[in-house]
Amino acid sequence: MITGPHQPSTLRFYKERMLVVLGFIQQNLDAPLELEELARVGGFAPYHFHRVFRGMTGEPLMAHIRRMRLERAANELRRGTTPVIQIALDAGYDSHEAFTRAFKQAFAVAPSEYRRNSHASRAAAKSGVHFADGHLPQNFRTSNHRTMKPSFETVAPLRVAYVRHVGPYSECGKAWDKLCSWMGKEGYLGAGCKFVGISYDDPEGTPAEQLRYDACVTVDADFKPVGEIGVQIIEGGEYARVTHAGPYEQLSRTYAQLMGQWLPRSGRQLRNLPCFELYLNDPSSTAPADLLTDIYVPLQPLARS
Amino acid sequence: MKPKTPLTARKATRNASTTAKLGSTLKSRKAVAEKIDLSGQFKAEYVAPRKPVLLVTLPARYLVVDGEGEPGGPVFEARIGALYGIAYTVKMTRKFSGQQDYVVGKLEARYLNLAEDPMPPKSAWRWQLMIRTPDFVADAELSNAVAVLRKRGKEGDAALVRLETVEEGRCIQMLHVGSYERECETIALMAAFAKANGVGLAGPHHEIYISDPRRVAPEKLKTILRLPVAAAL
Repeated sequence: MITGPHQPSTLRFYKERMLVVLGFIQQNLDAPLELEELARVGGFAPYHFHRVFRGMTGEPLMAHIRRMRLERAANELRRGTTPVIQIALDAGYDSHEAFTRAFKQAFAVAPSEYRRNSHASRAAAKSGVHFADGHLPQNFRTSNHRTMKPSFETVAPLRVAYVRHVGPYSECGKAWDKLCSWMGKEGYLGAGCKFVGISYDDPEGTPAEQLRYDACVTVDADFKPVGEIGVQIIEGGEYARVTHAGPYEQLSRTYAQLMGQWLPRSGRQLRNLPCFELYLNDPSSTAPADLLTDIYVPLQPLARS
Repeated sequence: MKPKTPLTARKATRNASTTAKLGSTLKSRKAVAEKIDLSGQFKAEYVAPRKPVLLVTLPARYLVVDGEGEPGGPVFEARIGALYGIAYTVKMTRKFSGQQDYVVGKLEARYLNLAEDPMPPKSAWRWQLMIRTPDFVADAELSNAVAVLRKRGKEGDAALVRLETVEEGRCIQMLHVGSYERECETIALMAAFAKANGVGLAGPHHEIYISDPRRVAPEKLKTILRLPVAAAL
């Protein structure tokens, strides 16, 4: 059963879980704070957690953790006499210079200057969540884009041939070239073929050379893996679909709105499966502003445990 | 000084380099620089203002497929599928073997019997769907593409696709923004422009589809309309 699109109680449920994560971060700033662990703490699907986090708080997860560590450092500078280099190390920076650079970006002054004069104790943040020693965040601001109107769809499983790309997303064209030139010359790119992309990792939290992306083309049951071209089944079931109009580099913004703003009001939650993208036009003959991409987000009923 | 690569290709390179996922569906950044893009080479034919202009088009090579029936109907859609299937199979076969690469152009169409009086009903419209294709693509490549699609059970109407040179010469062209139903308003403007310039309409009405009607709202659809003309008698 699909429930109504705007349910304040669902939003509260999402916010409560996100507050658990925000509190956990503030209490464990000296720990590595891996995405998987944070997702688990809040009961979110790890696949999508970076997008849900960014969408709900307006800040990428890694940027939030960085800011919390810097705000704690600012606290320390104001109150104590701990040497700046020690504070830098505690904040996760291995040099004075790196710390000064990051600190200046957040507080507009260098750490030494900050210590001499009193300055704002907080860096700018849309969410309104700040480091408060011993006090955990009780609430946060989340913007609400009601313009987004995804449709709920039941999708049949998609059997696809794919080439895995590992590296910066900007270079995934190589995987497409490999896939399409082979599939094309073999006659697999006839009418009705769908071009699908799957990105697995958060570009904010994963080094660019480790980002995984699958370039996929739908195939029939008789297609067998060959060389670098593998076969996988994209799981079917309930998905939300929204069309992203515009350049591919803005896809992440649409993902964040969808998962951080629409989803908490949707009455559904994410399944722990990757999203996929369906490319509706050929970017070599289409202006970036005219590109259309359907984003599919896997959903399931909201289980309150 | 003339740039070595067409403007659109250079623009695409810049976009690709700043883009997250734009390695793109069907291109690599490396290939862009070397890739032929006919819509960039013959820019005047593919960029139309929102008022009528006269231009002279050069003979142009196309992959074409003919048909009859309502635009957007089942026959029309099946023929579009066949045309694109051939276009990408030919292109990718060349790309795989390291031959000259090129961009598969936008869908175009000519409507062959709309000038009849009275205008036939949509279900009886005869049309030719077209994709601009470089001159070096040979008939043998086309028949090879039909054969490999057949081997995969994806032949459909692919055997109906042909290579053809279309010569339209002098034309009036204009960008239409809006639904296909309202094209008649733009065509009326173009006809008035033809009259004012002392030329008469001299060939089937030609459309170049810039937008994708599957997702773009009808009032925002962009279509270049082209009417071949000749000096009035």
